Amino acid sequence: MSRKQVKGEYIETDTGNKVARKAILIGTQHIMLGGKTVIQAEAMIRGDLARTAQVPSSSGAAPGSNTAVAIGRYCFLSKGCCLRPPGRIYKGSFTYLPLRLGDHVFIGEGTVVQAATVGSHVHIGQKVVVGEFAIIKDYVRVLDGSVIPANMVIPSFSIVAGQPARIVGEVPEGGHEAFELRELYKSVGNNPQPLPV
Amino acid sequence: MASFTPYTYIQCPCHDTTTTTTTTSQSRPAEDAPSPTSPHSSDDDDDDHNFDPRAPRSNYSLYPLEYLLWCDVCHQIRCPRCVAEELVTIYCPNCLFEVASSSLKTEGNRCTRSCFQCPICIGPLAVQSLESAPEPSLLSADNANTATTPAGPWILSCSYCNWNSSEIGVKFDKPQGIFAQLQKLRHGEDSHSKHAVGGDTSPTKTDSVAATMKARFSAMRSFYSAQNAIANPSSGLGDYGFSSPGALSRIMSIYSGNNAGSHKQKSKGTMTREADSASEGFRALDLDDSSAVSQLRRDGWDSTVIGDQAKSQVEEGARFAEELWPIPYLLRTKRSKRCPVCRHIISKPESKVANTRFRMRLVANTTIPSISIKPFNPPPALLKPLQPVQYLLTFRNPLFDEVKVTLATPATTPGRFASRVTVLCPQFQMDPSTESGMYLVDDALKDDNKDIQGRRRRGTEGGTHQAEAGKIWERGHNWVTIVVEVVPASLSLEAPPALLRKEGEPEPDLSPLKEDEDVLEIPMFVRLEWEGDVSHDQMSTSTGKEKDAREKKELAYWCTIGIGRISQE
Amino acid sequence: MSSSNKRQSVLPRMPAGPKAPVNFSSSITIADSALLAGKHTINIGSESVVHPRARLDSALGRITIGRRCVVHERTSLGAAPASAPASDPTILNTQGGVTIGDYATLEVGAVVEAGGTVVGEGCVVGIGCRIGSGAKLGKHCTLTPLSEIQPGEEVPDFTVVYSNGTRRLDRRGITELKHKAQARQIEVLKRLIPSNPTKFQ
Repeated sequence: MSRKQVKGEYIETDTGNKVARKAILIGTQHIMLGGKTVIQAEAMIRGDLARTAQVPSSSGAAPGSNTAVAIGRYCFLSKGCCLRPPGRIYKGSFTYLPLRLGDHVFIGEGTVVQAATVGSHVHIGQKVVVGEFAIIKDYVRVLDGSVIPANMVIPSFSIVAGQPARIVGEVPEGGHEAFELRELYKSVGNNPQPLPV
Repeated sequence: MASFTPYTYIQCPCHDTTTTTTTTSQSRPAEDAPSPTSPHSSDDDDDDHNFDPRAPRSNYSLYPLEYLLWCDVCHQIRCPRCVAEELVTIYCPNCLFEVASSSLKTEGNRCTRSCFQCPICIGPLAVQSLESAPEPSLLSADNANTATTPAGPWILSCSYCNWNSSEIGVKFDKPQGIFAQLQKLRHGEDSHSKHAVGGDTSPTKTDSVAATMKARFSAMRSFYSAQNAIANPSSGLGDYGFSSPGALSRIMSIYSGNNAGSHKQKSKGTMTREADSASEGFRALDLDDSSAVSQLRRDGWDSTVIGDQAKSQVEEGARFAEELWPIPYLLRTKRSKRCPVCRHIISKPESKVANTRFRMRLVANTTIPSISIKPFNPPPALLKPLQPVQYLLTFRNPLFDEVKVTLATPATTPGRFASRVTVLCPQFQMDPSTESGMYLVDDALKDDNKDIQGRRRRGTEGGTHQAEAGKIWERGHNWVTIVVEVVPASLSLEAPPALLRKEGEPEPDLSPLKEDEDVLEIPMFVRLEWEGDVSHDQMSTSTGKEKDAREKKELAYWCTIGIGRISQE
Repeated sequence: MSSSNKRQSVLPRMPAGPKAPVNFSSSITIADSALLAGKHTINIGSESVVHPRARLDSALGRITIGRRCVVHERTSLGAAPASAPASDPTILNTQGGVTIGDYATLEVGAVVEAGGTVVGEGCVVGIGCRIGSGAKLGKHCTLTPLSEIQPGEEVPDFTVVYSNGTRRLDRRGITELKHKAQARQIEVLKRLIPSNPTKFQ
């Protein structure tokens, strides 16, 4: 499907990130992209929900350098997904804690991620809800429509599904290569290469 | 109806136990193997008996490519059913804390720290204090940090279904070691005696057996092994079990009712008895349900337990929601896998929980080509009976050598509804994958002149490119696409008229369609031949001097390709 | 980076044009890129927070949001009912809009259809939930993510809807704690989200 647009649909940065023009990134100074990451249209990242300063005497200015959302390399954020840092009451006041994604993380369409950390090589399906402070380790596959309750820990090499999510299987040894997202990265952008057969 | 994704399942050679592979340089698993006497020879060779994917047995040997492992000593596929597994690490899936295998025997297979699952929704439970932190506005800035550590009683609470342990009246004094506190609360102070009951049944411990299943089981087991020792005094019978011929004949005589030499029979009858007290693990069921019935009347349907909730509990017999206790997490393992034939390690993960690398990982998709299926034209949701449809099968070669592929399919699919299958090009060669920089070299070459033969051709020439028998459809740098034509069978269940039925033919099966009988599955026999490097393992003779020796290798297996569902018109 | 008049193509088209009549309390926090539209009034109680990209559509009825509520992004209040109720295909209950009680939380992507829908005090409507037209949620209910409430349904107080529609009663008794936690969250959100109520008035 070729589009003749004067401007490309994606903005490609020099670190290789491909961010769609229609993506919604709020608070970009608190968002760190690792490189070669794709953010499709309508994806939303709430960088404005950053950790508030610990020192109570600071004036209301937002702190400059703390990260709200850190994303690794070769991540893929599909259309309509939402990344939001989790927040809780800590020592009497409500604070947001950073959300960290590892490398090669695929987030499906319409998914809302409020996890504390997501490891590397994770495939999250469509319409998934990841609860606050969930911890997803490496090489995990979350099937479509799952709801991961808050505070859940998903160990490596699990396949998770259901509402609330349960571990329904293990990733086989031959399935590790399926998590790589290099080919998918090349297939989007302003000069897409077709996916290998 | 959900859309059908075409699949490929490969059969592991372990399904036929009469097959043994003795040579390492050649692998011919299926063809020369089955003895004429084996009743299950229907699965193997492609001469008389084709592989039937619908046979109930074949379900247990078919796996997608990602699940298959590869033993490079035997040069053979191994599947999750036939590999021998050993534990490398045992850990709790919630706290990711490693557990020593010795404590597995003493403390059981559940986490003994503070990891619990909600009995209502199986979500994770968090330890929370009942008291809230005081308002920060009421405290001066100095006290704000020190006074915010809550010290009230602690409870377990589920953030998904909003259950918490105060619903069953359970509160804890400290936030660590919840497992031990819970044991005490649940089973009283007898939790200590539960561990000691493991071996002996000393008379001072009558009626103090804890109510857990573990305690009752160990009490009952020690009672019955004591009974067994009384009944079979060590005259050589009980000790040797069934291995001595004398014992065998004695046991056979018992079964045949022959009283010839059985003096011991009567003495056995009087000395042994069944368990009848709590110390021996016996528990009489309380058949008076009136209290349960009145509670049911009072609290209603919603206070009872769902079947799944009762099954996931540690102890059985919960009927009401207030009898549901938090469930400790079952421990999870990392396992290493060995080939069952040569005992070579095929897969071995790192022993640290946090490390996801593998020390050894021999998987089948480094040797066997992967098969992907695409319809020629955009497919209808269901295949129409008796209308030929063409599919493109793409084989991708992972090896660094050229591979010659030979395919064979039966002309009609097995099963009640025989669809006709034709592979237009049953024999072809695949180029090797490039060794290094598979991605970089690939792109560079592709852009220049491989485009002519590469993927673009599919888009531009779609309609004019005809499928010809004997010719491949398309070729890429390490893949080949061929065409397969199928004519789905009609699913109508009519008996052929009596005139056409031959004598002695069995009655046609007119039962309604069984589950998945309308799926079109093609069994395909794949044979790969390639020249690889000489394998330097224990089995080969010493040919160390010839470094460039090439050895002919071959591998053959059955696979099943699921194409689609046939519509029932 | 995002322009403020961007429509979201997944939701039905909003009528462009005159601003919706609003009645804001003085202490609310409403993000710049919230989307307010419609011809009925939109009332927002004191100290409530509306995150960016929340959509309040009063075309089918008045929207009333209580005090100390938090409306997260991508929510849709006053959406048109997805389908007419099965019993009465001709009548779409379009009288009445949406009423949200005090201390309620509507999480990301929640959809509350118009038609006299009431979300009770202290309710937590999870991510992606869908509340049908005319449904009435009792006080302090919890809807876990991706739950659906059928149109016209009445949900009793303190119900927890979880796991594909199962219901149970919440007996935690922590309503006071929840209110305090909500107040603290609102304090922090006031600082993080730049509020611009005058844009809508």
